[in-house]
Amino acid sequence: MNLLTEEPAKTKRRSSKSRKPAEPAKPAPAILPPPSGMSFAATSLGQETDLLTDFSVEAREHIATIENSVLILERDPQNTEAIHSVFRAFHSIKGLAGFLDLDQIQLLTHEVETVLDAVRNGRLAVSSALVDVVLQSVDYLSQALVKLDAVVRGEPSVPLPVDPSLLEKVKSIQNVPEAAEESVAPPEPSAAPAAPAAPAESAPRVTGRVEAARVKVDTQKLDALVEMVGELVVAQSLLRHDERLKSDVNGPIAHKVSQMARITSEVQQITMSMRMVPIGQLFQKTARLARDLARKSGKTVDFITSGEDTELDRNIVEELGDPLVHMIRNSIDHGLESPEDRVKAGKNPTGKIGLKASHQAGMIVVEVFDDGRGLDTKKIRARAIDRALISEDAEYSEEDIYNLIFVPGFSTASQVTDVSGRGVGMDVVKRHIERLRGRIEIRSVLGQGTTFLLKLPLTLAIIDGLIVGVGSGRYVVPIVAVKEMFRPPSDTVHSAEGSREMVRLRDRVLPVVRLSERFGVEATHRELHDSLLIVTETENRQFCLVVDELIGRQEVVIKSLGEVFGNIPGVAGGAILGDGRVGLILDPAGVFQADAKEPALHNA
Amino acid sequence: MAAVVSGVSVAERAGKYLTFELGSEVYGLPVLRVREVIGIQVAAKVPHAPMHVKGVINLRGKVIPIVDLRMKFGLPTAEETDRTCIIVMQLSGRGTTILVGAVVDRVSEVTSLAAADIEDTPDFGDGSTLPYVLGIAKTRDGVRILIDPDCLFDVCELGNFHSGHGMSAPGHDGSDLS
Repeated sequence: MNLLTEEPAKTKRRSSKSRKPAEPAKPAPAILPPPSGMSFAATSLGQETDLLTDFSVEAREHIATIENSVLILERDPQNTEAIHSVFRAFHSIKGLAGFLDLDQIQLLTHEVETVLDAVRNGRLAVSSALVDVVLQSVDYLSQALVKLDAVVRGEPSVPLPVDPSLLEKVKSIQNVPEAAEESVAPPEPSAAPAAPAAPAESAPRVTGRVEAARVKVDTQKLDALVEMVGELVVAQSLLRHDERLKSDVNGPIAHKVSQMARITSEVQQITMSMRMVPIGQLFQKTARLARDLARKSGKTVDFITSGEDTELDRNIVEELGDPLVHMIRNSIDHGLESPEDRVKAGKNPTGKIGLKASHQAGMIVVEVFDDGRGLDTKKIRARAIDRALISEDAEYSEEDIYNLIFVPGFSTASQVTDVSGRGVGMDVVKRHIERLRGRIEIRSVLGQGTTFLLKLPLTLAIIDGLIVGVGSGRYVVPIVAVKEMFRPPSDTVHSAEGSREMVRLRDRVLPVVRLSERFGVEATHRELHDSLLIVTETENRQFCLVVDELIGRQEVVIKSLGEVFGNIPGVAGGAILGDGRVGLILDPAGVFQADAKEPALHNA
Repeated sequence: MAAVVSGVSVAERAGKYLTFELGSEVYGLPVLRVREVIGIQVAAKVPHAPMHVKGVINLRGKVIPIVDLRMKFGLPTAEETDRTCIIVMQLSGRGTTILVGAVVDRVSEVTSLAAADIEDTPDFGDGSTLPYVLGIAKTRDGVRILIDPDCLFDVCELGNFHSGHGMSAPGHDGSDLS
């Protein structure tokens, strides 16, 4: 897709003049082509950097709007709302670029705007060639913005010149007679401009986005606010459970305190929601990628998204980008059959790929699905036996077989990639999702398609955990790692070499890991049958974690232990518990492997 | 005797100090580096930490490490009294400010010291160095051992016990879960 040259060139930049508000409805004024032999004056940048930063942020929002609307347009060329929103976005960028003397950006956006104006007035029909040109222009803008950001940061960088061939393309598209449109358009059923102006269901969403009032806030301030609100909640709960209030159960003070409790919890909810962003932005980006990939691979793909309004933590959305892109790429490259094969299999030649987000039991579930060839358990199995990953005569569930594609290196074998189609780097995807404390599941029907389910926590800032006690210390075990808890009867406890303990649980023998020994603290109970055993699963291994008692279950805000401590094996962070004390959040994998580390230093 | 100790020139050592006691010894901390003084709290122990690191506490939503200064200086441990408290100080390290709490027997006063009152650390002749001592201040009531918090709690020293293993999950500000 990248038709732009990266060769360094120069753009003129003068100090700013009076601000011209970007009015969407104004007819575009004629703009002179930039004078040749411009030099880049970095000196005038000083007072402009703020303006440039604002421009960069704003332009990116416009770009997102454009990409979104253009893809709607491609499916529904008569969608006037989408045309208008693309036009407005380009117009706004042009206005701002003109104000900041970003000649190259202004030049390109002006040309694109002219084209879009023709579309708006019905003089030009939406064709896929036009969509391509618009998207290429957007690509240029994105790259130019990257350069611009570098300039703002004071890095040596040169503004990106517009590729003349792109400009030429934009100009020439206006001259394409409408009769020729049909030959340019791909065999997409919706591309025919004959359809009556259909009300697109996605259109209202576009306007909603544009008009939503926003305030931009520094994320650090937001984090600080979240932190302080967490403290407020703790302080409030300390007050509410104060002994002296017990005598005043229905009295005026108790009433005021409970009023405050309600307000506090509301404040907490609002602050938490401030960190949340709809996943739709991410879907938009992948929609764009899916379109480009499909065109490149010669497959026709219907990209379906739903649940765009599902909100999750900003950081998760950011971290989710790479895995999603990876999986969409896999689905298009390998998951979907070629149109001919699809017809042969009796399917619609246009493949379906989609993303769906939803809330499920306190988690966000993102589904990546396709209606391609599906995973072939036989082939995967054969391959795994080949590589001695599984034994030939053992019974495996479908799930076990599917999970083999997450084995590092398994999938890169071309044999499997060609056949099953999955997996280039699925191990990386899985690692990524696990780092976000999520899980990944596969559902597949041979010949009908595959669905990957990514189950993610709502936020990275909060973890649902079991509060357990060992001696006087308090620890938080992430609930995702907990399988079950029990007190073992004495006859199920066994040991080897006197010290290596294990417990028989139904038909399994599990190793026993005493948290007190791993962390070098004194436990209240010596005997296992007095203690509580938590069956913990991590990285496909199960072990029994021994603690003294279960104190409760709580959602805790994860705090860093600070740069001072760095990574402590077995500890994922700290949490402030309901009584204001600090409890360490355990990293079960680290706890399990702790024996490789130096022995604990203190013992009391 | 070198005119520069701990990278701080003699003239720069003049200023206000918060003095505190450990047994019979009196120490001084540059007051600008003291964030606050709080009452003693139960610290959550951190595994694999050096002996003198008592653990971490909650300072209004921030989790900060607590160091037992008696243990750090090799003094015998003392019972906690109602005067025992934690001095929260700011350390500059790795480009950021780090808060560390130090448990001391009691906090005495804030006192102004002139450059003339401050002497360099004497040479004890046994090759031992007191790298964290800025200088010794002479006052009417005796000497004050002035310490440089950055050298006292070398961030690297506090942090060097971990072996780089552990869950590295991305936090909301990049370092949150490290």
